[in-house]
Amino acid sequence: MESRQSFAASTPIDCVLQFAAADAPDAEGRYACFAARASGLFRSQDYGQSWIPAYASLGASEPLPTSSVVLAPDFKRDRTVFAGLNGAILVSRDGGVEWQRGHLPSPLPAISALATSPNYEEDETVFAGTAEDGVLISQDSGRKWVAWNFGLLDLNILCLGVSPDFGLDETIFAGTESGLFRSTNGGRAWREVPLPMGFDPVLALAVSPRFARDGVLFAGTENNGLFVSADGGRAWQGLAATASVGPVNQVLIDAGGDRRRLMILLGGALIRSRDGGKTWQTCKEQVPGDCSITAALALDDAERSVLIGYEDGSIARFRAGRRQNRTRSTRGRRARA
Amino acid sequence: MAKEMSSRQIPGVVFQPRTSAGMLGGIDRLVAAIRPTLGPIHRNVLIEKESKLGLPELLDSGAIIARRIIQLPNRDEDMGAMYLRQMLWAMYESAGDGTASAALIFDRIYREGLRYVVTGGDAMRLREQLESAIPMILDQLAGMARMLEGKEQLARLAETICYEPELAGLLGEIFDIIGEFGRLDVRASQGRKMEPEYIEGMYWAGGMLSREMASDRASGRAELEECAILASDLEVTEPTAVIHCLETAAQAGAKSLLLIVRSVSERALSVLLMKPNQNALRVAAAKAPGDSSDDQREGLEDLSILTGARPLLQATGDSLSAVKTGDFGWARRAWADQYQFGISGGKGNPRRLRQHIAALRAALAHNDDLQARRRLRERIGKLLGGSALLKIGHPSPITLQARKELAERTAEAMRGAMHAGVLPGGGTALLACQSQLEEKAHEAQDPDERAAYRILAHAVEAPTRALLENAGEEPNRILRRLAEADRRCGYDVVRHRVVDMVEAGIVDSAAVVAEEAVRAIRGAALALTVDVLVHRSKPPLAFHTT
Repeated sequence: MESRQSFAASTPIDCVLQFAAADAPDAEGRYACFAARASGLFRSQDYGQSWIPAYASLGASEPLPTSSVVLAPDFKRDRTVFAGLNGAILVSRDGGVEWQRGHLPSPLPAISALATSPNYEEDETVFAGTAEDGVLISQDSGRKWVAWNFGLLDLNILCLGVSPDFGLDETIFAGTESGLFRSTNGGRAWREVPLPMGFDPVLALAVSPRFARDGVLFAGTENNGLFVSADGGRAWQGLAATASVGPVNQVLIDAGGDRRRLMILLGGALIRSRDGGKTWQTCKEQVPGDCSITAALALDDAERSVLIGYEDGSIARFRAGRRQNRTRSTRGRRARA
Repeated sequence: MAKEMSSRQIPGVVFQPRTSAGMLGGIDRLVAAIRPTLGPIHRNVLIEKESKLGLPELLDSGAIIARRIIQLPNRDEDMGAMYLRQMLWAMYESAGDGTASAALIFDRIYREGLRYVVTGGDAMRLREQLESAIPMILDQLAGMARMLEGKEQLARLAETICYEPELAGLLGEIFDIIGEFGRLDVRASQGRKMEPEYIEGMYWAGGMLSREMASDRASGRAELEECAILASDLEVTEPTAVIHCLETAAQAGAKSLLLIVRSVSERALSVLLMKPNQNALRVAAAKAPGDSSDDQREGLEDLSILTGARPLLQATGDSLSAVKTGDFGWARRAWADQYQFGISGGKGNPRRLRQHIAALRAALAHNDDLQARRRLRERIGKLLGGSALLKIGHPSPITLQARKELAERTAEAMRGAMHAGVLPGGGTALLACQSQLEEKAHEAQDPDERAAYRILAHAVEAPTRALLENAGEEPNRILRRLAEADRRCGYDVVRHRVVDMVEAGIVDSAAVVAEEAVRAIRGAALALTVDVLVHRSKPPLAFHTT
C-alpha cells in the first residue's frame, strides 16, 4: 500500500466533488474521465491514472471551482462534456479541450448538479440543478438554459436522477434541501414525493438501469440514511443499517441492474452491500487512515476499477479492490494567463 | 288539510294534484331543452338575447341553458323548472360539468317517484329511502375510479367534457404542467388560434404605485434582481419612515427593494423616486394584494412564507419607521407593472412553505363553502410557483365567447377529475350501479325501499339512454348488449362499438359523476315531498318559450 504524503491544498477546501467517465474507449483507445474539484475541472485520458487541468484553453488566472460534470451518453462519438460552476455552465464539444459558455437566466445561478437525458442524441436535453433557482433545462445541447419550476417548492437542488427510459416516461427526480420531487413531463412541472421521515435533505439519487420494469430508485439523505423505492418513488423503505451513521453522499448501483449490489458513500466512507442493503461491508477501496472520501465512480471496465476522490483533492484508482495509484499533483498544472 | 284548503281555492296557492302536474311539466320542459346537448354527438341550443342589439347565444351547457330560461309562462310549471334550474346552477358552480346528466337523472327519479306517490306511496318515506341509497352508489363509483397521469390521459378526459380535440390537447398539456391547483386564466384574444402561455413565479393583483419606478418605460414594468421584499398593509405617509426603510434595506445588503404597501403619499413617493435614492437602491412599490382585509391578510401571509419576510401589519401597530433588517424577505427576481407584481425564486424556508401548502390543502378538503374553496385553491395555485394563460381566438364573437366558456367549464371539471380520479365515461359508471340497485330492490321487504331502488335502477341509465338517442342509436338494443358486458364497458357512439371506456380514453371525472348522482337524487327526493305551491301576487317578468 502506498503511503500518503502530506501536502497543502491550493484552495482552502479542495475536495473532489464529482467524477464522470466515458463508457468505452475512443477511437485511439483512450478512456476519458473527468473530475470536478474546487480547484477546477481535471481530465484524464487513461481512466484516471494521470490528470491534467481541463480549463487550460480558457486562460483563467484564478481557479474555476467546478461542482459538477457530466458527459453526453454517447461520448465516444459525441465528445460533449458539461461542467457546472458558480454562475456558469461550460460546454465542450471536443472531449474537454475547448469550452463555450451556455446562456443562463439572470441573475446567474450557482450550478449544483448536472444530468443528461438518456435520449440526448435525439432530444439534446440536459438538466442542471442550482443552489437557488431550481432546475434549468436546455433542449439544444447546452446552448440556452431556461428555468422550469412549476410545483418545485424547494429551489435548492442537491442532486438529480433521470429515468433510463426518459424518452418514453419523461421522468426525472430532484433531491433538494427539504426532500424529493418528481417530474413526469420532462422537467416542466414537479410534484412532491413524500418520504417516510418527513423533511430531510436528499443528497444523492440513483435510478435503476431497469427502472421502467422494476421501478427501483435509491435516495440518500443527510440524517436518515438510504431509502429505496420499488414502485417508481411512490412508497419508500429505509435501509436501517445506514440510518444515523452519517450523510449518504453518493449511491452507486450495479450497471447490470442487479439491485442487490450497491455501493454508497456514507459519512465519508465507502461501503458495499451484496444483498440489497440489508448488510454492508467496508469496501477494499477504503484504506484505514485515509481522509474522507468525497466522490467515487465505478468504471465500466473489465477490471472493475473504481475511482476515489478524497477531501484533500487527491484521486486514487483501484483495480479489483487494489489501489493502483493516487494522484496529488494535478493542482500544480494550472494554466496561466 | 291540503285538500280542505284546495276546496276553498285560496288565490295564489296551488294544491295537489295540480302541484305535481305543474312541477313535472316545468321540469320536463327544462330537461327537454337540455337533453339534446348530451354526448359527443349532440346538438346545440340557440338563445335569443333580450336586447335586439345583442347577438344570440349558442349554448351546449345544461346549466347555462337552464340559467337563460328565467321564467315559463305557466306559473306552476315555472316553479318546477326554477327548482331544477337552481339545482343545476349550483352543480355547475361546484363541479363545472355533469349538469345535463344530473337533469336527466333528476327527471327520471321525479317522474317515477311521482307515479309511486300518486298510487298511494308515502313521499317522505320514499325520500328517505332514495337518500339512503346514496352511500352505496358512491361506494360503487369510488371502487371504479382511477387516477390520471400524464398529458395524454388529461387530454382524453378534457375531450370527453368539451368534445373539441384541439382544446382538449391544450388543456391536457396545461394541466399536466400546472396541476390540479395551478392557476389558469382563459382569455379572449385577437387572433384566430388557441395558444397557451406559461408564466413562471407567483404574481398577485396589486399594481405599481408609480410608473416612474418602471425600469422599462415602454412596457411600464420594473424588474428587480436579488431583491429585498417588504410585505405590509401599511399606509405610508411620512418621508422619514421611507428613508429609514431604505437605509435598513441597504444595511441588510439589498441592491433592490420591492415595497408592498396599501398606499404611499405623494411626499413619501417623491423620496422613493429621488434619483440618488434610486441609484443607491432600486425600489419598486406595489399595492398590497387583495381587496378585503381577509384577502390582504392571506396574501401577505403567503408572501411572507414564500420570501421569509415578517409581514408588517397596521392591526399590530407595525410601522415603516421601526423596520429592522430581519423583517425583509428575499427573492431572486421580482417585477411589478401597472396591474400586478410578481416574485420568482423566493428565499423563504422551503419546509415552512411545504407545510403551509399542506395546511391549505387540508383546509380545502374540509371546506364545503364554494367561495372559500375557490380562495384556498387560488392561494395554493399561486404558491406552487407558476401559472398558465390560455388565449382563445375566433373570428366570430359568438363562437369566441362560447369557446371561452367551454374552456373554463372544462378546466373546472378537470380539476375535480385530477383530485378524485376518473370513471368509465358516457354514463357507464352509473349504469354499472344498476345491477346492484336491482338486486337491492329484489331483496327489499319494505315497499318504499323496493320502490326507491327500482326507481334508482331506472334513473341511472337515463344519461346513457339520452346519449345514445342523441347519436341516433337504438338505446334498448345497446343497453341489452351492455348488460352482458363487463361493468367497465360502454358504448363508443363515435366508433359505434362496445369498448372498455377507460382504455379507449372515454372517461368522466369521478367527482362530477358522484356529484351529479347526489344532487339529482337529493333534489328529486325533496321535490317529491312538495305538496303546495305558493305564487306571489305580482309575477316577475315573463320570458316566452316557444
